[in-house]
Amino acid sequence: MTLPRCLPYVLKQVTRHRVRSLLTVAGIAIAMFLFTVVQAMSEGVGEATSASANETTLVVYRKDRYCPATSQLPQDYQRRIESVEGVVSATPTKVVVSNCRTSLDVVTYRGVPKDAFLRDRGDALEIVAGSVADWQRRTDAALVGETLANRRALRPGMTFDAAGITVYVAGVFRSDDPQDQNVAFTSLEFVQLAGRDQLGIVTQFEVKVADASLLEDVAASIDETFATAQEPTATFTKQAFVGRIASDLIELVGFARWLGLGCLAAVLALVGNSILLSVQSRVSEHAVLQTLGFSGRLVTALIVAEGILLAIVGGAVGASAALAVAHIGSFALSVEGTSIPIIADPALLLTGLVVCGVIGVVAGLFPAWQASRREIAACFRTA
Amino acid sequence: MTLIECRELTREYRKGGSVIRPLDGLDLDVDRGEFLSLMGPSGSGKTTLLNLIAGIDSPTSGRLLVDGTDLAALTRSRLAAWRSEHVGYVFQLYNLVPVLTAYENVELPLLLHPLSRRERHERVVSALGRVGLDDRDSHYPRQLSGGQEQRVAIARAIVTNPAILVADEPTGDLDKASAHAVMSLLQELNSELGKTIIMVTHDPATTAYSSRTLHLDKGRLAEANESREVPA
Ligand SMILES: Nc1ncnc2c1ncn2[C@@H]1O[C@H](COP(=O)(O)OP(=O)(O)O)[C@@H](O)[C@H]1O
Ligand SMILES: [Mg+2]
Repeated sequence: MTLPRCLPYVLKQVTRHRVRSLLTVAGIAIAMFLFTVVQAMSEGVGEATSASANETTLVVYRKDRYCPATSQLPQDYQRRIESVEGVVSATPTKVVVSNCRTSLDVVTYRGVPKDAFLRDRGDALEIVAGSVADWQRRTDAALVGETLANRRALRPGMTFDAAGITVYVAGVFRSDDPQDQNVAFTSLEFVQLAGRDQLGIVTQFEVKVADASLLEDVAASIDETFATAQEPTATFTKQAFVGRIASDLIELVGFARWLGLGCLAAVLALVGNSILLSVQSRVSEHAVLQTLGFSGRLVTALIVAEGILLAIVGGAVGASAALAVAHIGSFALSVEGTSIPIIADPALLLTGLVVCGVIGVVAGLFPAWQASRREIAACFRTA
Repeated sequence: MTLIECRELTREYRKGGSVIRPLDGLDLDVDRGEFLSLMGPSGSGKTTLLNLIAGIDSPTSGRLLVDGTDLAALTRSRLAAWRSEHVGYVFQLYNLVPVLTAYENVELPLLLHPLSRRERHERVVSALGRVGLDDRDSHYPRQLSGGQEQRVAIARAIVTNPAILVADEPTGDLDKASAHAVMSLLQELNSELGKTIIMVTHDPATTAYSSRTLHLDKGRLAEANESREVPA
């Protein structure tokens, strides 16, 4: 095949027009960095808000409240919730956040009754450092999610301070649930005592239901139980709860997808512009190639290959940089105690490369076709 | 033996409403192994004729047989394949690819042929040796003198071993010494390798290297001025 033999020629065109190529690649890389970050956020939204088929957890919140500071429920609702048919257990949870605004670096405490927590959730947490025994022994101990630990460089034995609460890091865990990954679990009483008049008050209950098919009925029954109480409840599936609390954030991420598309348009424009200029400045060179016997189709292919090469190199640089930053930074978009993780999924690199490859073809095709259609003899006349 | 046969060869261009006819019913035969010089005033159709013979332009009417092939009957892509086999083109302004070294420029036409890297290497080295530039293979065009650039361009034109070389004012941009080197080289390619050469020139001195000189005027041969020497 002729084309593979000619690919070194394409490579030389790119590497030996160094400034032009570097500028184009840098522009593409920046756009693809943004695109990949947006994709990583969108994946996080998907992961945080779409339920798995065997999800059996409900969250009981104070009705018409949207943040942990105002959602206050009596801790003794626990017995009444647990007496609702279909409920296996209810874990009272007090949530405290270090920052009431949306931020990439919020510390979220979840105060839980330690024994009940370990009984219900223990299996789902994989301890990657430190020990659970240590956590049970000390009242100020925290089990820290991996994302939070990475972001704050926390290791067992350290203490850290956030929201006016100082805790001792007893262990670091990994969990499949993106909400867990970004929180520090401490003892319920410890968190209650840190606030004024908070003993006996919790933010929410995490309710285990016997079977996934019962979720809706159980939620309705719980809310009915407290319908006329002074503190009525609103019960959601875990994912619906995140979707409700973080709805502004999710809307924002949804809007950011348009920015992502804008980035792709920018890549298209960059590659298109670069190829167009290079083709225009090489009119006689392409005529020479054709004089030597290169067919119009081969010239087209070589120009398109140049577009693909530029786009893919830029895309690889930008997407890898975005994934590296997301991975090292372990960011999560947090609001009111819920988290949207920014997921550094390696598959996003592949997505980026494929998208760039396609853009390279689209951007190169028209100038390439034009170049191959020109009258060869006329090209030498104008040059 | 006739290698190139032009009969009633006509090329017209439409420009706005008017028609320009740089070649107007030209008859010409070129024998295999000839070294033909074409002279004539500017605009007389010399380049147009070379382009037709080299297969980078097509006649409006008339017949053009080159080595038995009717070029007008070939499709665009067939014509491209034909060029890569049969002709080498030498331009006045060399037209080397600026980002490629001398070696890479000469290798370029070989990429179209099913040759191994090693075979290509042998041919490039031999072509550069033939033009006396084996020591400049890694130089870029901007690092070469005009005469050297033209010799690299000649190496590129002969590396695929075509039967025909066309050259459009190959010494038009060169000083006397370089022009002499280039002309001697062309003469050598004609006498030693048997290349049929058709060269356009403005300089009467260069016609001394060729075996025949023809004059073009307004798209036809100026018969009166034709002088034919019997090749030795
Ligand atoms: N592609 C073209 N379009 C319009 N006119 C052309 C074209 N090519 C050549 N001509 C005209 O044809 C005439 C002969 O051109 P050319 O063969 O280059 O002459 P020469 O090489 O003898 O100087 C000129 O008047 C030129 O303007
Ligand atoms: Mg001319």
